[in-house]
Parts: sequence; structure tokens; C-alpha cells
Amino acid sequence: MLEDPAYSEVVRWGDQGDSFVVLENEKFTKSILPKHFKHSNFASFVRQLNKYDFHKVRHNEENGHSPYGASAWEFKHPEFRADRKDNLDNIRRKAPAPRKAQNAEDQYGVANSQVVAIGETLAATQQQVQQLQESYYEILNANKIFVDEIMHLQKLVKAQNQVHNELLNHLNKVEQERKDSRNSNHSTPAFNSNSSNLLSDGSESPLELRRARDILNSLTVEHHADRDLNRMSVAYHHTGGSPESAGSSAMMGPPGTGGVAPFLHDPLNDMRHLVYPVGQTIGIDPFAPEHMNNIPYNRPGQENAIGPGSDFHAAPMPSHSSPGAPLSGGGSPWGSKKPIVLLVEDDRTCSRIGSKFLNQYDCGVEVARDGLEAVNKVNAKQHAYDLIFMDIVMPQLDGVSATAMIREVHPNTPIIAMTSNINQQDLEMYFHWGMRDVLAKPFTKEGMIGKLRKHLVNFLRNPPPEAMMDPIYPNGGPAQPPTPGPYLNQGMGMAPLSATSSGPVAKFDTTPVQSPATSSSWHSPSQLPHASPTISHDQGAYLAAGSGSQMVLTPGGTQRPQYASAMIPHMGGPQKIPEGMQRHDGPPGKRQRLYGPQER
Amino acid sequence: MAASDQNDDSQDTGNMPDLGDAIDIVTFGQILEMDDSEEDREFSKSIVFGFFEQAEETFESMDTALEEKNLDELYKLGHFLKGSSATLGLTKVKDSCEKIQRYGKKENEDGTPEPDEALCLRRITDTLATVKTEYSEVEKILKKFFDSA
Repeated sequence: MLEDPAYSEVVRWGDQGDSFVVLENEKFTKSILPKHFKHSNFASFVRQLNKYDFHKVRHNEENGHSPYGASAWEFKHPEFRADRKDNLDNIRRKAPAPRKAQNAEDQYGVANSQVVAIGETLAATQQQVQQLQESYYEILNANKIFVDEIMHLQKLVKAQNQVHNELLNHLNKVEQERKDSRNSNHSTPAFNSNSSNLLSDGSESPLELRRARDILNSLTVEHHADRDLNRMSVAYHHTGGSPESAGSSAMMGPPGTGGVAPFLHDPLNDMRHLVYPVGQTIGIDPFAPEHMNNIPYNRPGQENAIGPGSDFHAAPMPSHSSPGAPLSGGGSPWGSKKPIVLLVEDDRTCSRIGSKFLNQYDCGVEVARDGLEAVNKVNAKQHAYDLIFMDIVMPQLDGVSATAMIREVHPNTPIIAMTSNINQQDLEMYFHWGMRDVLAKPFTKEGMIGKLRKHLVNFLRNPPPEAMMDPIYPNGGPAQPPTPGPYLNQGMGMAPLSATSSGPVAKFDTTPVQSPATSSSWHSPSQLPHASPTISHDQGAYLAAGSGSQMVLTPGGTQRPQYASAMIPHMGGPQKIPEGMQRHDGPPGKRQRLYGPQER
Repeated sequence: MAASDQNDDSQDTGNMPDLGDAIDIVTFGQILEMDDSEEDREFSKSIVFGFFEQAEETFESMDTALEEKNLDELYKLGHFLKGSSATLGLTKVKDSCEKIQRYGKKENEDGTPEPDEALCLRRITDTLATVKTEYSEVEKILKKFFDSA
């Protein structure tokens, strides 16, 4: 290149043959750099030269003029000579492969900003995850207490009933007595004193009264759940709710931060540290856009509707009893995030009416006119749809085929068939091909909204309490990780979280979706083959996470660089996702993304 | 134009007009409820007039399909119009479309298979004539309703 006469006006060997001279900076940058160095950044070129121990020759000592002109840059290297090509091998950079180094140099700027952003994203994610966890345990606890309390109250009521019966019997007798005493000519006042005597000394009815008293006494007034309940109600009182409404506010409303507080010192709460090994959260590259949109785990709303556990699947059913609940007070029925619904319908009349219904219920609606369009839309939008209403008979591609195709990529999106063909045989086919439910045509607004509420329980601002009770309780408390862990974790945590931490939620809209990765530790550690440097899998994820300081969150703090460095060893994170999660995975090609960074 | 329910027959179901037994008022009513304003009935009107176009197109396609003795196409068209008419609560039209759908599928009215294609085609011819009449009736009623609204 230096010897090429065509370039002699721009760059050539120095007069002594021991240096090279860039005569025209601009031309060099514009024509030669792109051609030979694949970039056009002169400063970067100079930096590279410096790295290879080339140095600019300064000419300003005496005359202040370079022999090659004022704007010329002369570079020298002791081994770089026109007549000594064999010496070229001695010109080395300390770093290994020169070409790669070049690339790396270019990437540093981008990488640095990414690292910073990754750090921030992770910090926020982790915070959110922690909040989710706290909310979850809190609700779990609350539920346990409530159920205990309810059972206790039921016992009480039963006993009271008995007591009442006894009292009634007794009063009957007193009545009898009264008649008797009338017959024996007592005056009315006299009777009064008489009967009260009877009652007080109990001479006539000691049996029943004593029995009643015994029943009452047999009940321990200080039920152990009362204490917890009391503590809870006090805590809720802090947040503004009255103790009386503690129960319902815990279930229905988002607990404030104070609501979380009471369990902070609960021994159970230490679990949250155990359950969240930060390393696994880090294993996800939050930057890959495909990843953002195509997280192999599913959104809480979808999870809930189609949880693997049969009891969980059945749980949202009760909400069906209040299907068309109107928009009370004009507010949105949804929590912080309103669901995006895809309506697949070839008939534009139905389609328009359907979208209108959904719109009025404050859903985001998109419409596809046939199965093919639906599949294309779903593929283009990745995880964007929270629920799909699917007509069956459509041109191009029917709804069942479309559903089967969508299922391959999105195993958990609730897809609801809209059809008038609802004989048993058809229904079986629909369900076989991945439909989750059927909305009979012609659909009504109530019907449609009922399905929405049923399958998007976690999007609701005020989820029906039944739906929250059932899924939690069968798991027998937090000490024993529930098998469908991620589902419950998300399902329960979502609603309160969205309100508690509106900041991070708004900013990192998709981050909640990542939490299943962390909940994966709920599964048997033996399923986690990838040994991470910081996590001892012998002891299981619980202990491992608890033992480290990984839980420390310093959003925007000095730990940021550590996130970056921690990322590499933890990149195997997705591998640790146990079967339960992988089942919901996209095609293998998409997973590849997750492994990518590790190989970098 | 001022009053919302100046329709002649609108005395019984609250402010829901009585549109005769060809139209299921509950179903149709929920579309009327979607209107932001009862004065111009913008949404329901556009839906209904959209349906008119759709129905007329479908009838034309049905005529063509009938000429071509294309039962499968007739099945599809019947199903298609059944859906939208049902959504609007146009009961009679819907019922006839359902019949066409069945005949097109080579079924009797009760869903039992009917192998005689010629019979199916003849039935469709009759039903198509019926449904067109039924349609023009509801069209008249609805146009009157929306013109007065």
C-alpha cells in the first residue's frame, strides 16, 4: 500500500524508508482506511498504531515544519523499514490477534454503555423480583392465617349454635315454669323475680346451662392464628387500611410497602434470599431484543390461565361467576398493564363488534382476518398477545390449524375458539389442537369479558379472591416449594407488585417475565446440571443463594462492573431452567440466543 | 332528531326499540349499547350498514355457487353469513343461513348426513330465496330505525 504510486499523494514511505507518512489526512481517512482497515476513523487508526508501538514523529523542534507538509503525519517504528520486510513479524501488539483487537476496540464504546445499562436493568429486575417474592410470601402467609382463622371461626360458630340450642331448650322450660307459676297464682312481678332466681342459681336447669358453658370453655379463645392475624391487621393499619378490612385489602388490593414489612422479620422471609440466586437472573441477556420479546417463559397472565397443575387450572373458574363485571366507577378493570388481545375473525361484522367490546373493556385489540394473518401477526409480534380469540371457519387458514401453529411457538397463550359449532366432537378437536376455551357464537359482551377475566386473572386490578386462595393453599405453605413454582410465584406476586413498584414496572415492562428464571431454583437442584462458579449445587439453589452476597442490590451503584464480570460465568443461567420451564420454550433456534453470550 | 327513541314502536323494552320478531332485541341491543351517543348511533349504524353490504355480497356469491353446484362453497358462505347475522341478532336470517350451511355440508336440517347432492342443491335454492326475503324485511326495518334515529 505504501509503495503504491497511486497513493503516493496520500500515504507513502518516509524519505529515509524508516517511517511512513500520511500526507493528506482527509483522503487517507476517506479512501484508504475504509479499504484496508474497514473503518474511517483516523483517530482510531492512530490509536491502533500506538498500540503497535508506532509513534508519531514530531518535527517541531527546530524549524517547526515537517518535511512532508504541515498537515502530514509521520509514523515511525524501530522495526518498520521499507527494506526490511522480514522484520514485520516483530511488530506486535501486546494483545494477541491484531485484527480481533481492532474489532474489540470498536466495540468497547458500545459494550461499555451496554454494561452500564445491563447493570441498571439487572438491578431493577432484581429489585422487582425481590418485591415479587416478598409479596408472594406475604400473601401466602396471609392465606394460611386466613384459612386457619376461618376454620377456627367455623368451629366457634358450630359451638355457638349448640349453645343456642341448649339455651332455647332451657328457655322453653322457663316458659313452662312461668305457666306453672301462673297457675299457682303468683303475681307478675313475683314471677319475674322468681324466674330470674331460677336463672341465676340455675337450680332448675343446671344441666343445659352447664353443658353450654362447657362447650364454650372447650374452645381456646386464643387461637394461634389470631396472633398472626392481629399482627397483620396492625401492619395493614399502618398502610391505611382498617384492621377490619385487613383481610380483604390483603387479598384484593395492592399492599403498600408497609404491608410487606410485617413479614420482613418473619423467619419465612429469609427464604426469599434463598430463592433468589442473583446469578441466575444475570444469566439472561436483557439486551437481546429477541429475548425481550421472546422470553421462553410466559407472562403471568398466561401462566395463570393455563398452569400445569390441575388445581391451578381450576382455580380461576370461580371468577367466571362474575363475568361481565362492569367497569365500576369508569376505572380500568386491569392492573398496571392492560392485556393485548388478538381477535382473529374473518367476518368483519363480528370482528368489529368484538373489538368494540374488548376496547370498551380497556383491552388493547388487534384484528386478524384469517388464520394466516393471525399466525403472521403472532410471529411478527412474538410475545405481545396476552390472549387470542380465534374464529374456526376462516378462509386461507382455519382457526384450528392457526392455533396449532401458534402453539408451536407460544405454548401458553390462551387461545379461545369462537364458534357456533359446539358439539362434543368439535370441542374435543379444538382442545386437542391447543384451544384453551370456547366462546360460543354469537358471542355477547358478557361472554367475551367473562373469558377475558377468566384467562387473564393476573391482569385484573382486583382479582377475585377465590382465584387467589385456591392456588396457594394446596401447596401447604412456603416452607415447601410448590411444584408449579413459577406459576404461583408470578401469579400471586403480580398484582400487588405492579402497584408497589410502579417505577421499575413502568420502566422495565418486560422484566417481570424474567423472574421464572430465578424461580427455577424452586425445582430440584439435581435438575440443574450447569455448575456455576458461585453456586454450590450440592446444597441446592436455596442454600447457595443464601450463602453469597449475591442478593445485594445497588442499583446504579458501584457494583455495576461486577454485574458485567459476573455475567460471563453465569451465562449458563438458562441451562439451569428446569424441565418445567423449558417445556414452554420456543423453538431451539431462539434459545440459542441465550447461550450466545457465553461463547463470546 | 332530538329524542333518542322516537321510533314508533319503542314503548316496551325500556329505550330499546321493538324491531319485530325477526330481530333479537337482546342481541341487537348490546350493539346499540356500544354507541357513544344514541342520537347518531354511529357505531351500530356502521356495523349494520356494513352488514348489509356483506350480506348482499354473500347472496351474490351464493347465487354463483349455486349455479356452479358448489356445495362446499355454499357451506362456507352459509356459515359466514350465519355468524354475522347471529351477532346482530337477525334470528331468521341466521336460521336460514344455518340451513344453507347444513345443506352445503350435505346434511339434513337435523345434522344427519344427506348424500343426495341434487336434493341439497334444491333445498339451498329454496332456502336462499327465503333468506333473501327475510333479509330484505330486516333491512327495511333496520333502515327505518336508523333513518329515524
